[in-house]
Amino acid sequence: MSGLALRRMKGQNVGYLFILPAIALLLLFTYYPFIRAIVLSFALTNKRGNFSKWVGFANWVRVLKKAEFWKVVGITLKMAAINLTFTFSIAMIFGLMATKKVKFSKFYQTLYALPMAIATSPAAAIFLFIYSKHNGVLNNLLGTEVAWLLNQKTALWSVCAMTIWQHVGSCFIFLLVCFRNVPDELLESAYLDGAGPLRRIKDIIIPLASPQIFFVLFMSINSSFKTFNQIKLLTGGGPANATKNLIYYIYENAIIHGRFETACVQALFLFVMIFILTRIQFLCEKRFVHYQ
Amino acid sequence: MITISAKSKKRIGRVAPFIIKSLIGLLFISPLIIAVFFSLQVEDELTMPPLHLFTKNPYFSNFLEVFQKVPFFTYLKNSLIVCVGAITIQIIVASLAAYGFVFFNFKFKKVFFALVVSAMSIPGEVVVITNYVTIQNLGLYNTYLGLMITSFVGSTSIFMMRQYYMTLPKDYKEAAELDGCGNLRFLLKIATPLSVPTITSLAMYLFVHIYNAFFWPVLVTGSMDKRTVQVGISFLVSGDVVRYSQILASAIVAILPTVILFIFGQDYIINGMTKGGIKG
Repeated sequence: MSGLALRRMKGQNVGYLFILPAIALLLLFTYYPFIRAIVLSFALTNKRGNFSKWVGFANWVRVLKKAEFWKVVGITLKMAAINLTFTFSIAMIFGLMATKKVKFSKFYQTLYALPMAIATSPAAAIFLFIYSKHNGVLNNLLGTEVAWLLNQKTALWSVCAMTIWQHVGSCFIFLLVCFRNVPDELLESAYLDGAGPLRRIKDIIIPLASPQIFFVLFMSINSSFKTFNQIKLLTGGGPANATKNLIYYIYENAIIHGRFETACVQALFLFVMIFILTRIQFLCEKRFVHYQ
Repeated sequence: MITISAKSKKRIGRVAPFIIKSLIGLLFISPLIIAVFFSLQVEDELTMPPLHLFTKNPYFSNFLEVFQKVPFFTYLKNSLIVCVGAITIQIIVASLAAYGFVFFNFKFKKVFFALVVSAMSIPGEVVVITNYVTIQNLGLYNTYLGLMITSFVGSTSIFMMRQYYMTLPKDYKEAAELDGCGNLRFLLKIATPLSVPTITSLAMYLFVHIYNAFFWPVLVTGSMDKRTVQVGISFLVSGDVVRYSQILASAIVAILPTVILFIFGQDYIINGMTKGGIKG
């Protein structure tokens, strides 16, 4: 009996072998680079981004003292706020519109989600044509001649518009799935009690789906900070840094200027920012979310 | 008379919301519709104001010219190699790990699982620069392996496979053990075939993500022969000679694989997206 138990114990240790590849890869490409970024933020690096000598807090002080950095942080927050507000609102509206399954509802459901399948390069190709100053689609429609991407006032919103267009789809899908999980009987009985569509949304669908709505919000906050491709392809951070957010700034410092230690400080700052915001959100979740 | 009008009223009540919802949807994807229509026009039509959505003689040669000017097939081949390689390995790694987490009890199992879950709170963008340095140090710059290697593991896919294996009855495993079926054989012959629907969802979801990736491939590719579709198109977009007719045509070609996959595999992709995060 005890012999069998012993063999079983040994057998259980085979489990390590199964998780080994995953753990090794996670350590190598998530945890190691993260710790390395922390180390390099207190050091000087050579041109290839490897450690050369310790400098203490000098990098942090230099980065945090720069006015340009705080302007970039401001733009990051502004962009994130715009992306989050519009992506989430549009996705909520689409989600509520498509909740009820009827004949052919799959048609508009597909249309609402489709842009999520479009990569940024081709999307940028299309939006560059739409935003083009000379004979662009938008200027044709409005009868104007605005250089949407080269104008300080419009560039940020133009970049955000494309980002939102691409992000609505996945947000919509998540919300749709959780709205559809709301039991039909509840909606039915509310309907029989005379609750109109808005009442049913406000008093039944949203409260019941609130844990998942918060999850989607958490994801959207995360992704709203990470606009990079759109900036790289549409404006390159311009005009006059009007669309330069933290991720683009990090890329520019590391890859274009070869200042890896500066980039590491900024990357960690970004991490802390997202981390704090998601913590705040979790605190809110505890207060507002309705669990069954 | 009255019954008929009541009937048709009911019908309008059903058809009208459908039409409104569909029109809103079409408006939402109007950038795509615009791209399709204008990719069929000659460059002169696009530069001479005003624009007309419909053209009298559609010009399909834009598409041919794209293939002549740009090594599109090379880009497509690279994208496919990266997608197939990365997806296959990520699914194998995830299945192994999920199997280990579900069917075994070993020391520090909780710690290791916490490691998998916490990895989700470190955004890829925060570590992308240091990963780029690692790739250079490993001599993987501008190689297929370098393009793929950071996608070999994904916390979401481990999570998803784990959730599936947890639904498998433990008796299966015990019965297999009594029959002398080893772990690898059990995983290969029993657990994997049963999880084909989960794997399909995961694979489609990953395809959309990896095919569409841009930041990482643009960092680690240096020459034309390793560029993926997305990187190739971006060079066309930011090129000096802007010819919108060809740019639009190339955009259409580049989005076809994911759009087709999305339209036909929608349910699988939705499954793949939502299973990992939302407990349904």
